[in-house]
Amino acid sequence: MKLAILIFVLFATFATSAFAHEVRPAYLELRQTGPETYDALWKVPGLGQDLRLGLYVELPVGCTNVTEPRASAINNAFTERWPVECAGGLGGGRIHIAGLSATMTDVLVRLERLDGATQVTRLTPSNPSFVVEAMPSRWRMAATYLRLGTDHILRGVDHLLFVLGLLLIVGNRWTLFKTITAFTAAHSITLAAATLGYASAPLPPLNAAIALSILFLGPEIVRVRRDETSLTIRYPWLVAFAFGLLHGFGFASGLKATGLPQTDIAWALLLFNVGVEIGQLFFVFLILAIARSFRTLEIRWPRWALALPGYTVGTLGAYWTIERTAILLGFIR
Amino acid sequence: MTHMKYQPTRARCGGIAAAIVLLCLDCPRAEAHLVTTGLGPVYDGIAHLALSPADLAVVVVLVLLAAMRGPRQSRWLLALLPTAWIVGGLGGLTFQITASLDWATGLSLLLAGALVAADLNLPLPVVATLAAIIGGFNGFSTGAALARTPHAALELLGILVALIVIVTLIAGVVVPLKAFWMRIAVRVLGSWVAATGLLMIGWSLRA
Amino acid sequence: MKRNFMKTKSQTTVACLLLLTALAAPSSAWAHIQAGEAAGFLSGVLHPISGWDHVLAMISVGLWGSQLGAPAVWLLPVSFPMVMALGAMLGLLGIPLPGVEIGIALSAMVLGAMVLAEKRPALWIAAGVVGFFAIFHGHAHGTELPAGQSGLLYSAGFVMATGCLHGVGIAIGLIHRWATGRVILRVAGAAVAVAGIFFLFAAFK
Repeated sequence: MKLAILIFVLFATFATSAFAHEVRPAYLELRQTGPETYDALWKVPGLGQDLRLGLYVELPVGCTNVTEPRASAINNAFTERWPVECAGGLGGGRIHIAGLSATMTDVLVRLERLDGATQVTRLTPSNPSFVVEAMPSRWRMAATYLRLGTDHILRGVDHLLFVLGLLLIVGNRWTLFKTITAFTAAHSITLAAATLGYASAPLPPLNAAIALSILFLGPEIVRVRRDETSLTIRYPWLVAFAFGLLHGFGFASGLKATGLPQTDIAWALLLFNVGVEIGQLFFVFLILAIARSFRTLEIRWPRWALALPGYTVGTLGAYWTIERTAILLGFIR
Repeated sequence: MTHMKYQPTRARCGGIAAAIVLLCLDCPRAEAHLVTTGLGPVYDGIAHLALSPADLAVVVVLVLLAAMRGPRQSRWLLALLPTAWIVGGLGGLTFQITASLDWATGLSLLLAGALVAADLNLPLPVVATLAAIIGGFNGFSTGAALARTPHAALELLGILVALIVIVTLIAGVVVPLKAFWMRIAVRVLGSWVAATGLLMIGWSLRA
Repeated sequence: MKRNFMKTKSQTTVACLLLLTALAAPSSAWAHIQAGEAAGFLSGVLHPISGWDHVLAMISVGLWGSQLGAPAVWLLPVSFPMVMALGAMLGLLGIPLPGVEIGIALSAMVLGAMVLAEKRPALWIAAGVVGFFAIFHGHAHGTELPAGQSGLLYSAGFVMATGCLHGVGIAIGLIHRWATGRVILRVAGAAVAVAGIFFLFAAFK
């Protein structure tokens, strides 16, 4: 395993940047209640105390607010609810999120029609508006949740770092296959269980536990380098499965934060999970290809560089563990 | 261990100096492709490189040039090219010149592509100098394009990661190619790049 | 060893075609980001394969290369794109080239005739003939960039499509190993030459 400096750089950068602005998407739901009436729900992530992101919904021209929005602030998110009346319905109209292009947030828009059909769209800073489909397509929604899953893992540096740690521990291809499969199976189980409401984990302790799983891998990687052995090194798939259960809850919180459709939960869940696996496999193959190329190029890393990945995983794990425990205990907000 | 040691001497400094001098000569508008992935600035930087065909072609052809000479030159390229690119990029961020550098990119493609096609046994210093100059230059135009984005430094970081990955992966594929016809295939690729570079110069002269 | 050559040669051709499809396929996916660029590449690829005169001439370059054997068979695809780009450069700079269409028609005729006759001139003569015509082909096709598209990707697509046509010619030329194959190649050369005469008439009309 001659992975080294590169991965350190990779993670050092991702870690700082991704956590600097932990992006939570805003959520707009428009539920049709009559031929020309809708209930609007608008959730904007807050920025601490009484601040919120400057995002505002602009509905199509024919729409008017029946009453003023009722606002509430829960869990550092601002929620507004209000009924809307749209002459001729929303179909074909353009929904725009004002202020989105100035942020780094996404907006997930979910439209539910009277017949239960839904259209889910993801708006980004570069693409802040969309046209409501006259006939919403299931495929559009599928693509949205698939993309959401891939995005979630690629943005989730903690998950990727854990996978990297596993890669640094496993010795051969068969073990690698078993380990990755175990991790996948485990997080799929808890992701499904948490999303469907059979199990739940409160977020702050969960985050701390996920950080702890990364910290746990650090010393094991160092042991591999010293040719020592341990339970983890002999049965990495066991550890992958056990901690995979934790990471699944993490994925579930990511999926929940974006809002799930009411009717097609299973479908959305499946595609979100597939998206996560696509992102994870891409990462695994990328790392393997890079390691292989390093061998081809006959790079002789200095000793400290070889030790770097293990210490990076351990250090970042420790840092996050302390940080998240402090959050958990209320020392910092 | 000695392989990865930098020798930040004339090669790189000369490259950067040449890049800066060349830059100050020319002045129409730059055409930048700024990409938003929605995954944050580091990924935006990766996407910026991955979706700039000219930059990609420059990187690929330089890797081909070094990889055809074996692992030693590839290792040097792996150290030099991203460094030069980022140094150039920081220069571009600082000076923010909005000149079109298409002709220079075309020239880099023509030169490096022709060298790949010719399959000359170039010594390491020549390849290293070329990589530093071309990398620094293209980095400069990347930096100038990124100067308008809010998180330019982070995007540069993404570009650095992408460069290291691309150079590593392509060199890993090309270095083991020993079969005669495989080398011919690489040379043909080089000649395609050179031809494209020549045409690019033509387009920018006509524009 | 010989078999190995053949195998890798055809592998290269296959890889080449795969590369083109792979590059062309996601162009729709890019559409929302850089519509002009993807379209540029696609029209660059399509342009040289949309005219039979160019297609036949390029394939017969490959066929002739196969008949000539090494080193011509690999020297041609390595040097042709660059000479062709030179021709296109002339066009881009606005330097007129008299009788471009006639030159292209002539190229199909002459190259077809060379394949038909299995002519084996000295390498420099063969290279000179092919290079001469390459300038015409470049001049005719390299400069027809549709408005609003990327010059770089159009050029790349154009160069790659042409290179792949050579590859097709070389791959077909593999049958040169067998006696029957040699005859088939010569017949193909005759067909290209006849088509060249037809193109010539069309060019004069």
